[in-house]
Amino acid sequence: MTATTQEVPRTAVQDTPLLRLENVTKNYGPNTVLKDVSFSVGKGEVVGLLGDNGAGKSTLVKIMSGTVAMSSGEYFWDGEPLEKVTRPETERLGVETIFQDSALVPSMSITRNIFMGREITNGAGFMKMKEMDALTTDILDSVVSIEGIKSAKQLVGSLSGGQAQAVAIARAVHFKRSLLILDEPTSALAVRATEALLNYLLALKAEGVSSVLVTHNLHHAFKVCDRHIVMNHGKKILDVTRGETTVEELTAAVVEGAEGVRRYREGKPLA
Amino acid sequence: MTEESSGGGTAVTAAPLALEERTTKKRLADSVPTTRMGRIKENLYYMRGRGALEISIVYGVILLAFIVTSLLLPKSFPFLSSSNLSGVISQSIPVLALLAIGAGILMIAGEFDLSLGAALGFSAIVFIRLSENGSWPLAFVAALASAVIIALINGLIVVLTRIPSFIATLGMSFFWTGASIFINGTTPAVLADGRTDLMVKIFAGNYGFFRSQLVWMIVVGAIAWFFLHRHKQGNRVYAVGGNPSAAKAVGIRPNAVKLMSFGIFGLMVGLTAVLIAVRTSGMQPGTTGDYTLFAIAAAVVGGCSLTGGRGTVFGMIVGAALIRTIENGLILAKAPGFYIQLFVGLTIVIAASLNKLMEGKSQ
Repeated sequence: MTATTQEVPRTAVQDTPLLRLENVTKNYGPNTVLKDVSFSVGKGEVVGLLGDNGAGKSTLVKIMSGTVAMSSGEYFWDGEPLEKVTRPETERLGVETIFQDSALVPSMSITRNIFMGREITNGAGFMKMKEMDALTTDILDSVVSIEGIKSAKQLVGSLSGGQAQAVAIARAVHFKRSLLILDEPTSALAVRATEALLNYLLALKAEGVSSVLVTHNLHHAFKVCDRHIVMNHGKKILDVTRGETTVEELTAAVVEGAEGVRRYREGKPLA
Repeated sequence: MTEESSGGGTAVTAAPLALEERTTKKRLADSVPTTRMGRIKENLYYMRGRGALEISIVYGVILLAFIVTSLLLPKSFPFLSSSNLSGVISQSIPVLALLAIGAGILMIAGEFDLSLGAALGFSAIVFIRLSENGSWPLAFVAALASAVIIALINGLIVVLTRIPSFIATLGMSFFWTGASIFINGTTPAVLADGRTDLMVKIFAGNYGFFRSQLVWMIVVGAIAWFFLHRHKQGNRVYAVGGNPSAAKAVGIRPNAVKLMSFGIFGLMVGLTAVLIAVRTSGMQPGTTGDYTLFAIAAAVVGGCSLTGGRGTVFGMIVGAALIRTIENGLILAKAPGFYIQLFVGLTIVIAASLNKLMEGKSQ
């Protein structure tokens, strides 16, 4: 293997990947925040997106979810190029982003949050509240088990961080989303809630749902991800499967960038 | 697809939760009330801090005090006299309540419109002048249309330029006040020949203990309630005002929802303009500025949040009723004009603080 770590072999996902980004570049005025980033997410794969602050993870997440347009590059969904990468379009495909605290509306009830934008209505557009409340109760009881929630009518603003995350995930599961993007989901959670969240991801994976886990916590990523992508200064510096890497290598990549990976692979300890 | 093909390694923590933990856990479905009383209790519990409940209690207490005082001193405090009741309950409350519903829906969407008063004056002048020179049904439609167009222009400015609605609509307020004078001149527009009996019956009819305006408030209030609390578009107004990025993430277009809210606001302003024009038979340009802050105050008193996402139609109506009733009480008690402003101002601040306090306790 050469010194450069740019071309680490791809994972062995045989099928057409669910999502594939090719040579994505994003400029904000004179600043290039993403440079020629290519990667894919396989069907039912859990991909860890790692990197220090400012590495370009958040921009990448926004591009994947369609809320930010890329300056250049291509977006493939199930092998087909997507012409217009907009939020309504990615919403239709089943991409769901769960941000740390902005996936839900705190001043609305759990029911209204779960069915937000996808309300169950009669022909005239009026909501069937009883049906939605009952379904929400059912979802909260079965899809994810969340402790401490009293009623589907409770405001999301009165929930804890972990409970709110779980509601957001329950929503994604209920609507059979195909790709879940979780942006720093564990940063505000207690140990137990984190454990539960990581378990949800694995349960989803078993149902064929792909997810991208953006996190600072390498141990969390290592525990659940099939593949790890490390970003550094807007570039992808590492793309390895679980079997090919160690927490130490990921740490070196996140902390020191490509240089750190090279040093790690040469058997030298962290600087 | 099997698990093997997706990279393997699911052995780390595979099961969602231990089975016994899932089954012995208290299920949410078990705590859903089954009795009628239980449902009422639950609904009341989840009404706390939403705005309507607390302010209704405050209003009830004030109303009770006024009624008792009026019964004890019918001569010096004629609150329960039929002329007072029909003037307050049936006329001044509905007019403010309709404006508060418009301003309130817009506030829930996270915006507000300071050109309310100016747009009200402009639409009233449009209505009067067209009624004088033609048919009033056409004038009615034109008044609604002009108020809606004014509101949509404001909405477009806010949505496209992302100027805070405070600044954009403040500027437009001066513009439309000027425009009213431009099309009408500085003398009042007077509704004389065009004021037909049918028009009066519909918009300002006095039917003894109630007037047309009260009917308008009840009908429009009911429609607004069904729209805001039961229609999917109403749900999206809350979503966009409460957290635009969350709304966007589920495919709702915040700008479209905001424009719709501006349009509804315009409709309310146009309707109220006609109600006022028919009752007063005239409109002096530049005299309707007070309505702007009164309408916003009524919405805030009724539990709407200035930052969006919170508010109820019932609260908006009660907020308007509270302000107008206190004003009426002070007038009946023969308080000098500046006392009225003082007490109304104080009521607004106290009620808004109370709402803010209760908001934190909402479940």
